[in-house]
Amino acid sequence: MTSSGFRTLERQNAAVNPGQEPEYPQMQNMTAPHIESFNSIWEPAGARTPALIDVAMELLGKHTVFDGKGNIDSRLGNKITYWISDVRLDHPSLSARETKSSNRLMYPTECRQRGISYRGRLTGVLHYQVNDNPVITDERNFGQVPVMLRSNRCNLQNMGPAQLIKHHEEAEEIGGYFIVNGNEKVIRLLIAQRRNHVLAIQRPSYGNRGPGFTPYAAQIRCVRRDQTSQTLTLHYLTTGNLLLRFSIRKQEYLVPVSLLLRALVGASDKEIFEAIVGSDTENIFLRDRVELLLRSSKQYSVYTREQALAYLGDKFRVVMYASEEMSNANIGRLLIDRLIMVHLDEYRDKFNMLAHMVRKLYAVISGECQEDNPDAQQMQEAYLPGHIYLGIIKEKIEDFLLNIRTEVGKDVRNGKVDLYNTNYLNRLFARVSVDVGHKTQYFLATGNLVSRSGLDMQQVAGYTIVAEKLNYLRYLSHFRCIHRGAFFAELKTTAVRKLLPEGWGFLCPVHTPDGSPCGLLNHLAHKCKLTTVVEETDDVEKTLIRLGIEPGIPGPAQKDAHLLTVQLDGRVVGYCSHKVAAKVAETLRILKLQTLKARIEAKGAGRGKNSLAESPVLNIPHNMEIGFVPPSHGGQLPGLYLFTTPARFIRPVTHLATKLEDHVGSFEQVYMEIACLDEDMRPGITTHQEVLPTHILSEVANFTPFCDFNQSPRNMYQCQMGKQTMGTPMQSFPYRTDNKLYRLQTGQTPICRPRIYDDYGVDGYPNGANAVVAVISYTGYDMEDAMILNKSAHERGFGYGSIYKTEYIDLGKFRKSGDPITTHFGIGRDMMFDESVIDHIDTDGLPLIGVRLEDGDPLYTVVDDVRGRTKVHKYKGETGYVETVRLLSTGPDDELQMVAITFRIPRSPIIGDKFSSRHGQKGVCSQKFPAVDMPFTETGMQPDVIINPHAFPSRMTIGMFVESIAAKAGSLHGVCQDSTPFQFDETNTAADYFGEQLRKAGYNYHGNEPMYSGVTGKEMRADIYIGIVYYQRLRHMVSDKYQVRTTGPINPLTQQPIKGRKRGGGIRLGEMERDALIAHGAAYFLQDRLMNCSDYSLAYVCKCCGSVLAPIAVPATSHVVDLSRPGTKEAATNKPMFAGLSTSEARAIMTSVGASMSRGKGPLDLVCRLCQNADGITMVALPFVFRYLATELMSMNMKVTLDVK
Amino acid sequence: MNGSAHVGDQNAPRVRIRSLDKTNVDFVLSNTSLSVANSLRRVMIAEVPTMAIDLVEFYENTTVLADEYIAHRLGLIPLVSHTVDKFKYTRDCTCAEYCKECSVEFTLHIKCTESGTRTVYSSELISSNKDVVPVLETEDDRGAILVKMRKGQELNVHCIAKKGVAKEHSKWSPCAAVAFEYDPHNNLRHLDYWYEKSIKDEWPLSKNALEEQERDPSAPFDYKAEPTTFYFNVETIGCLDPQEVVTKATRVLQEKLGGLQLALDEDQAPDAAANVDDGEPWV
Repeated sequence: MTSSGFRTLERQNAAVNPGQEPEYPQMQNMTAPHIESFNSIWEPAGARTPALIDVAMELLGKHTVFDGKGNIDSRLGNKITYWISDVRLDHPSLSARETKSSNRLMYPTECRQRGISYRGRLTGVLHYQVNDNPVITDERNFGQVPVMLRSNRCNLQNMGPAQLIKHHEEAEEIGGYFIVNGNEKVIRLLIAQRRNHVLAIQRPSYGNRGPGFTPYAAQIRCVRRDQTSQTLTLHYLTTGNLLLRFSIRKQEYLVPVSLLLRALVGASDKEIFEAIVGSDTENIFLRDRVELLLRSSKQYSVYTREQALAYLGDKFRVVMYASEEMSNANIGRLLIDRLIMVHLDEYRDKFNMLAHMVRKLYAVISGECQEDNPDAQQMQEAYLPGHIYLGIIKEKIEDFLLNIRTEVGKDVRNGKVDLYNTNYLNRLFARVSVDVGHKTQYFLATGNLVSRSGLDMQQVAGYTIVAEKLNYLRYLSHFRCIHRGAFFAELKTTAVRKLLPEGWGFLCPVHTPDGSPCGLLNHLAHKCKLTTVVEETDDVEKTLIRLGIEPGIPGPAQKDAHLLTVQLDGRVVGYCSHKVAAKVAETLRILKLQTLKARIEAKGAGRGKNSLAESPVLNIPHNMEIGFVPPSHGGQLPGLYLFTTPARFIRPVTHLATKLEDHVGSFEQVYMEIACLDEDMRPGITTHQEVLPTHILSEVANFTPFCDFNQSPRNMYQCQMGKQTMGTPMQSFPYRTDNKLYRLQTGQTPICRPRIYDDYGVDGYPNGANAVVAVISYTGYDMEDAMILNKSAHERGFGYGSIYKTEYIDLGKFRKSGDPITTHFGIGRDMMFDESVIDHIDTDGLPLIGVRLEDGDPLYTVVDDVRGRTKVHKYKGETGYVETVRLLSTGPDDELQMVAITFRIPRSPIIGDKFSSRHGQKGVCSQKFPAVDMPFTETGMQPDVIINPHAFPSRMTIGMFVESIAAKAGSLHGVCQDSTPFQFDETNTAADYFGEQLRKAGYNYHGNEPMYSGVTGKEMRADIYIGIVYYQRLRHMVSDKYQVRTTGPINPLTQQPIKGRKRGGGIRLGEMERDALIAHGAAYFLQDRLMNCSDYSLAYVCKCCGSVLAPIAVPATSHVVDLSRPGTKEAATNKPMFAGLSTSEARAIMTSVGASMSRGKGPLDLVCRLCQNADGITMVALPFVFRYLATELMSMNMKVTLDVK
Repeated sequence: MNGSAHVGDQNAPRVRIRSLDKTNVDFVLSNTSLSVANSLRRVMIAEVPTMAIDLVEFYENTTVLADEYIAHRLGLIPLVSHTVDKFKYTRDCTCAEYCKECSVEFTLHIKCTESGTRTVYSSELISSNKDVVPVLETEDDRGAILVKMRKGQELNVHCIAKKGVAKEHSKWSPCAAVAFEYDPHNNLRHLDYWYEKSIKDEWPLSKNALEEQERDPSAPFDYKAEPTTFYFNVETIGCLDPQEVVTKATRVLQEKLGGLQLALDEDQAPDAAANVDDGEPWV
């Protein structure tokens, strides 16, 4: 075992003298899927693949509209054809209104601090042609599109630490996110179905789609060259017919597959039969099915290719938005080009693939092979952020093209169209505007996908997340998390959440949250990569043919009934027997590794001088998957499936024969022999070995020390808690305006840390502190997961943290745009000598830096021109200090109207704050014990933290024990301890390894020490396990949670306390709590909670009629009533007053006296309105809400009568 | 010790100093009870007064560290406190806020003007009292690092050091750690050692074990035996000499006992107590 060392001086040097190259290249790799996929939009995505945006524009094609001013020859009239090309995204730059700056580039830090978006201008060239006149081009501005940081459109792209620091970024800024309105937004990675591969599915819901439908279907997600996709589902019907389902603009369409097969290549019934059945002519089931299929197609009376195309074209003319001049057959072709097997260009290839799809579906129905599991990693890939982003941009540009068409259509109807008039055309194109930038920004800000087509995705919301900088672990895991899809979150079944063996090495088995997103929100294993390059496959194909693959599809002439299909990226290349296929797979892997070797050698020799094209070695992509599915009894459909496409999961393993690093994909891994450890090796069978067993874990899971000793759920908890720790989220604090930032001021590097710690530069972002921890039950303050903190440790700074809060103040918010500015920051004459204000606020009206603020202190002052007065705005919240005051520009030459004030709120640990070790052992500080009362060892060591031994038996976090002795030994010897998991085994145990180190330092082998009571000085009965454990302070603090109230705000209607901590409300004593109190007979307490502390009120009630509402107050006719004594003799004499009047008259009098009553403040009388006397009026205590109830019931004509005794 | 016991008295507590250097004193306290020994330990840690910075006024702080963080660092700097007895506690002093009688003032005003990193050390604090200065180990020791500055940053603070005890805040503690042990052979069986295979292999004996005899395992166990010999090692942080810590601690202990004695005496004389304690039963 080697210890990695703290590298203190090296790190110090790197921090003081930042270099040009990133210090931690692995850290930069974390965002590779994000950045590379974004880059591929704008720059070539592979050796021979143009930028994806260009491909997308090419696929959008040309649009044609007619003006309808035709004659007999050409009924349609003049036509205008238009299309878009050369869409470019500029680097973010200052707006043209900004005239003072010579450097026109805009940098992310400005966007963050000003709360604006980091974006560049998107432009494209619009071409149009009227009839056959010359093509006219016009550059169009598509608005400002947010740019991903560190991408090839970002101004930070190739910067090293030195320059990044200069631009106020982290030294190791990893990028991969967008800045939208000052927030850092990440497009989530999502799980997608593996592209261009037929999946056979059995799903009961398919049976409910309609009459005749069965649960069986085959599905393929075809991906176009621009990475947009189109899913096709082939349904099996009880009639024997097969219907192909696809959706156009979220509308579903079903087409008989026989029609399509005919339309694709004009195949005759015989050809179709042979294409599906192939050499398996003895298969009666199959033959019967195909016969049924062909028979059912007869009803359409379609016999030739043209007929089939025309049939399709006729049905789909409206939805295809095709040009009016196109014939039905051509529209049929368009349909096939745009929707059917879109990953293939050639119709023959499409035909073969469709036939394969039919064949696979039949094979599953007959039980010849099993349906595929779409939840398994084998059948999955990822939606990459760049590809989703491109999909949105493409669709918005398409919308622009379609809108032009609509506008022309409108003009045709109004008769305003004039295609030969340049002015008209200019006005037309100016009128149609699509602000792509605005739309993409909306997408990033909300995560909602507003789309006509739905982009072939299963969800409309939740695409983006805020990359919270709570701490470093939280931040980086945002880039590594991969979601199964919002659709699955609502699913009742838990099958999708299962941890499947297929995911080994790709998804971390530990790092998933518990609770509702468990198993749906996963994290990539730290060595798992996502491919982003479109590979060249010419050599692969050549090699396949050379190795003995027969091209085409097998026919009935073939003797072998079990020929395997050979597919490359979803294209049928050929077929062969399974023996040949096995051989081919093996050879291809060797060739692939040879390519890699040649490439490495070429790099070593001449730095690209020996380009691969010149070398005789074939170009077999290193990331290619060679998925050979051998024949089995009812397993997966056999075949040789090769994949080179982007967005696949890839991970490195060692190829044993060549000792080279082979990249393995999730499809092929299932059929490969990969040993984990040396002892797993099976000679002659094993071909590969894991590089390290820790490669299956995510970054965050890897940071748990000795996690292989822990019970597995505890490691999951630690992954959660590590992300809730108050740590060091960043080093660029002065340049951040995040709403709320947590910072641990006294962070340390752990003594016990895994080797990977150095790769990811975690030392720059400490998350806790090394604490001397004694496991002892002492004084009882450590019961139930509480922990005792040493008061002296606390006083020396253990766990000391701060919160940074930023408040934006925008005076322009209440002003309409265009109105003159009437409010200014500053102090007017009226306040200039007010000491309470001057103490906190400078003459500019803004707070002094470093000033201490308490709740209610003046924060800033604004001079209002209209009223000519100065308004003082007060600080609300916890006591804190003013850290920064930022003056923000709202536009060039504008007067200052916006500032951002950052407060620093000290948060020293207090009783009730939450701490945890790195082993899912959280606890709340229950007491800060004086140092002299703490137990101590013979060397005089006192623990910083005391935890209870009961925390261990049921949780079995042995890793914490190991960390404790390892760090203890480390601190005694002054070394850093390697806590990488899977380093020890039964013969070489961790306890022995670290025990020996402890013994050498003169300590007990097992990490125990005799301890003495701090209070009496007596030696304790038992020796105590004491060592050093790295402790994290969690962000859950009592200061944010405590809620206390005696009296306070109430609801005006019911007079009951309102809820909500922020408003000083109460905590509801609900029904069940009430039940418990009744059961305990705690009547007085119940009375106190539900009445006295709630809506206690005194009310008058009339004993005679029993009403609480009837007694009313009337002004005292001084000689009649004495207010202080209702129901006295005088009151009784009042009776005749109303006696002779009817009810309505009495009411009229009362209302009039009521009016006068409110005016004059004379003494009042109480009178029952129903009894019309004051005899029975008495006072009772009531919950106010009862009065309200009585009123409500009264409005429903119901009376509440109280029986008062 | 000038209490009731005389030097040479057979029953009086005895101190044997085994080693003494600048920061450590190793001694054996014998002929006394556990409670006395532990009291001494507790007083040494928590109740020996020293000087430490307690108030910090910031005039300028443009360094990367927050005000309260620098103040905390300043508080933890050990100050030479040999003359601590000449000072009063501020709470006992007649002055309003602080004065020469109860405090020492420090100033620190540093601005970084050169490129590169300017490190500020505790030795740069300018004291108003030549006897109370930051602890430095050697002539060329510059003390603890307070803060690191870059060009243009400035720190201008005024600190007031006061007398205090570690009971209140650990910055006033003169000790880093107090090693305390008795009965190294576990003859009294206060401790039940846990072991896997063999006690001897797994439990190392401390160096104090050389001072005592291991009990004959065959002899009957004396369950009435009490610990009488205590092995101390006091490690200081430099503000007081180790022997000073011990003697001051005994003085504090004596004063506390004296106070207790006085209170008890007053309690014995009922008429006197009636006047003193009236109205304040908790004193």
